[in-house]
Amino acid sequence: MEHAAQDRRRRRRISKRDSLALLLLAAPGIVWFTVFAYGPMVGLVVAFKDFNIRQGIFGSPWNGFANFRYFLSSGDAWTIVTNTLVLNALFLTASLLAGLVLALMLNEIRGQFYRRFMQSSIFFPYFVSPIVISLMLQAILSGVGGRGGIVNDMLNVFDLPQLAWYTTPGAWPWILTLVKVWQLGGYTSVIFLAAITSISEEVYEAAAIDGASRARMALSITTPLLLPTMGILVVLGVGRIFFGDFATIYAIVQDNGILFPTTDVIDTYVFRSLRTIGNFGTTAAIGLFQSVVGFVFVTAAVLVQRRFQKESAIL
Amino acid sequence: MGTFRMNRRHFLALSGAAGIGAAMSGGMSRAMAQSLSGASTAVLPSQAPTNWAAVLEKANAALQAEHGFTLNAEFINWGSYGQQALLKFTAGAQFDTALQALWLNMAQLQQDGALADLTGQIDKWPNLKAQIAPKLIEANTWNGKLWGIPQVNSAARVQHFTVRQDLAEKHGFGEITDYDTLERFFYTIKEKEDGVTPYSLVSNSHWIYAVPTPTAMFNQHSWENPYTMQYLFAGSGLRFLFAKDAAETGSSGPIPFWDDEGVIAALRKIRQYYNDGIVNADGMNVDRATIDSQFQTGRFASNWAMTDGSSSNQLAALQRNVPEARLGQVMPFGKPLTAVKPVQTFQADNMVVVNANGGDVDRALALQDWLSVKENHDLIEYGIEGTDWEAAGDDGIKQLSQYAFPGYALLWRSGLERRSSFMTESEKTIFDWAQNYDNFTADTFASFIPDVTPVREAAAAMNNVIIQHANPLFYGVADVDAQLDKLKSAADAAGLDVLQGEMEKQANAYLAARA
Repeated sequence: MEHAAQDRRRRRRISKRDSLALLLLAAPGIVWFTVFAYGPMVGLVVAFKDFNIRQGIFGSPWNGFANFRYFLSSGDAWTIVTNTLVLNALFLTASLLAGLVLALMLNEIRGQFYRRFMQSSIFFPYFVSPIVISLMLQAILSGVGGRGGIVNDMLNVFDLPQLAWYTTPGAWPWILTLVKVWQLGGYTSVIFLAAITSISEEVYEAAAIDGASRARMALSITTPLLLPTMGILVVLGVGRIFFGDFATIYAIVQDNGILFPTTDVIDTYVFRSLRTIGNFGTTAAIGLFQSVVGFVFVTAAVLVQRRFQKESAIL
Repeated sequence: MGTFRMNRRHFLALSGAAGIGAAMSGGMSRAMAQSLSGASTAVLPSQAPTNWAAVLEKANAALQAEHGFTLNAEFINWGSYGQQALLKFTAGAQFDTALQALWLNMAQLQQDGALADLTGQIDKWPNLKAQIAPKLIEANTWNGKLWGIPQVNSAARVQHFTVRQDLAEKHGFGEITDYDTLERFFYTIKEKEDGVTPYSLVSNSHWIYAVPTPTAMFNQHSWENPYTMQYLFAGSGLRFLFAKDAAETGSSGPIPFWDDEGVIAALRKIRQYYNDGIVNADGMNVDRATIDSQFQTGRFASNWAMTDGSSSNQLAALQRNVPEARLGQVMPFGKPLTAVKPVQTFQADNMVVVNANGGDVDRALALQDWLSVKENHDLIEYGIEGTDWEAAGDDGIKQLSQYAFPGYALLWRSGLERRSSFMTESEKTIFDWAQNYDNFTADTFASFIPDVTPVREAAAAMNNVIIQHANPLFYGVADVDAQLDKLKSAADAAGLDVLQGEMEKQANAYLAARA
C-alpha cells in the first residue's frame, strides 16, 4: 500500500517535471504566436469600424457590418471568390501532380551526380523572384513593345495567328498554372522523394522477384504509398485555398484590368483597394472574411481526410 | 478724392514701425528656431542618393549649428510609397513631414484630421516666404486652410510630347506644332523606321492620353480648346468634367469623362493607334522606368513630357546609344505659346505635409525655411559642389556624379532650381513659359477639393470599375464601343448617380461660396 502511494508520488513528480520541460520547449513558439499571430488579431476590429486615420483603431466609430456589405454587394465579390478558389485548386492539383511525377522520375535516375544535378535544377525556380518571373513571362508572351514574344514567334512558324496574351483573359488561369508548376514542381517533388526513401527496399525486391517492371513498381508500389503524404499536402493546400498567391499574381498581372475577370483574387483585390482608396475598414473586412472561410475550408478538409485516411490524418 | 502726401514725420514713423515689425518677425522665427531640437524625420519616396551620407553629414552640421536639430530622411521605394506613408500616419509613427498629393492620399488624410494646419505658418519664416509665390499659397489653400507646403518648380504643368527631333528632320518635318503634323510624323516613323515605335504608352498614366487637364495627349479637341480641367473625389477613380459656363450659371453640371465628345474621339484615336502599331501594345503592363530605358536606346520616337524642365535629362543617355539623337518638345496647343492661356488649378502636384499626430510644425517649417536658402537648397538637391555637380552659368548645373535627390518631395522652389546643362533650347522656352502665372487662366474650380467622406463606398467601388473597364480604353486594347458599354454598365452598378449627385452638390456649394 505504502509502496503504491510512493510510486504515485514519484510518477506525479516526473509528470510535473516533464510538463515544465515541455512548457519551456514550447515557450518560444507560444511567445511568437502571441506576438505575431494572436496579438495582431486585435486589429481585426477595424473590419467593424468606419476607420479614421487620426482616431485610430479604437477611436474610430463602429459601423457594424457596413464594410462587409460593401464588399459582398460590390459586384466584384463573386468574381474574385470564384477566381481565388479556381486558381488555387488548379495550382494545388497541378503542382502536386507535377511534384509526384517528377519525384517518380527522379527516383528512377541511377547516377547520383546526375540525379542531384536534376533535383537542384528543378528546385531552383522556387527561389526566383516573382518580379523576375513577370519579366520573363513578358519576354516569352509579348516581347518588347508588346508585339511578338517567343510563343508568338513559334506560332508564326506553324502559320498560326499571333495572340495578344495580355489582353486575353481566358488564357491566364492556364498560364498562371504553368508558372506555378514551374515554380513549385521541384519543391513538391523533394517532399515526395523524402517520403519515397522511407519505403522499404524489401517491397521492391519482392516485386522484382514477382517480375514487376520499374514502371509497374512506380505505379503499384510507390504511388499508393505516397498517398498519405499527398493527403497531408492537400489538407495544407486546402487550408490556404482562400489565399491567392499574391506575390506571383500581382507581379504578373499588376493593374491590367482586362485580365481581372480570370485573375483577380482576394489578395490582389485587397491590396488594390488599400493602395488606391486607402480604406482600412473595407480591406480588413475582406481579410477577415477570407480567414473565416479559409478556416471553414481547412476544417472540412481535415474532416474529409479523417474519414478516408484516418491513420495519416493530421488531426 | 483727396490726395495723401506723406510728410517726413509720417515717413519716419512708418519706417520705424516697419523696422520694429520686421525685427520682431525675424526675432520670433529665430527664437522659435533656437528652441528646436532632435531630428526632423522626413518621409520621402525613392531611394537615398549615392553620396547621401556625406551630404547629410554636411547638412546636419549646418542645421544643428543654425537651428539645433538635424534632418533624418527616411526613404521608401516608389513602388510602395503610397501605402507605406499612409500606414505611417495610421500607426501613429513619429515623423515631421511626408510627401503627399491629391494623387496620393492627401484629401483622405486631411479629411481624417491627420495633417497639421499650416495656415499662416509660412509668414513666420522669411526665407520660405520669399520662395513661395502668394498665388501658389492661394491656389493650394482648401476652404481657407493650408494643409501642406507646395513643392513646385513652375507655375503650371502641362503634359506634352518629347519627340526625336533628329528623326523628325530626317523625314522632313522640322518643328512639329500641331496635331495633324504630329500624327503624320507617327505614321511616317511607323512606315520608315524599322524597330522604332512612334509613341510609348506607360501603365499608371492611363487618363493623361484622353481626359483633358487642360489638354490630353491624344485628345485633339482639347488641343484646340485647352480650357477643361477634370476633378475626382480621391487620388484615383472617376474623373468628372464641369460645365464651361458654371461660373455664370452657378450650376456645375458634372459629367463623367465618357460623356465628353473630345474624350470619346481620343479613345477612338488611341484604339486606331494600337491597331496600327503607332503605340506599344504592352502599355498596360510596362512601367515608366522600363519605357524610359527603351526610349534611351532609341526604340521609341516620342515619349511623355511635363513642363517641369526635366525632359531633356534623357538626352545624355539617349546620345550614348544614338549619337545623332536630338530632342524637341511638342506642346499640345497647335498654336504658339503666346497665343494661348490654358486653364490651370495651380495646385501643386507635390506637397510637404506635417504629421498632426506627433510631427513638430515649427521644426518642419524651420527645415523648409532652411532649405529655401540657395546654398542649403543646392547641397540637398544637387549634392556636394565639386563632387556631385558644378555650376554652369548663374542658374545652370552640370552633374558630375549619379547623385539624384527627390527634390519635389522636400525642397522644390521655382526660384532656386538650377537648369540642367542638357536642357534643350526648346525645353528652356517651355520651362520659362510654364514658370509665369500670367501665362495661364485660373480654372473656375481651381481650389475645389471634393470631400469623399459622404460617398466613400461608391468611390471605392468606382475605382475598381475604372481600373477594370476604363483602362483598356485608355490603352487602346479593347474595342471602344463594346468596352464603353461595359464601363457604363459597371459604373451604374457601382453608384455613378450617387457620385455624380454628390459631386454636383459640392461643386455648386463651392460656386455659391465664391459668388
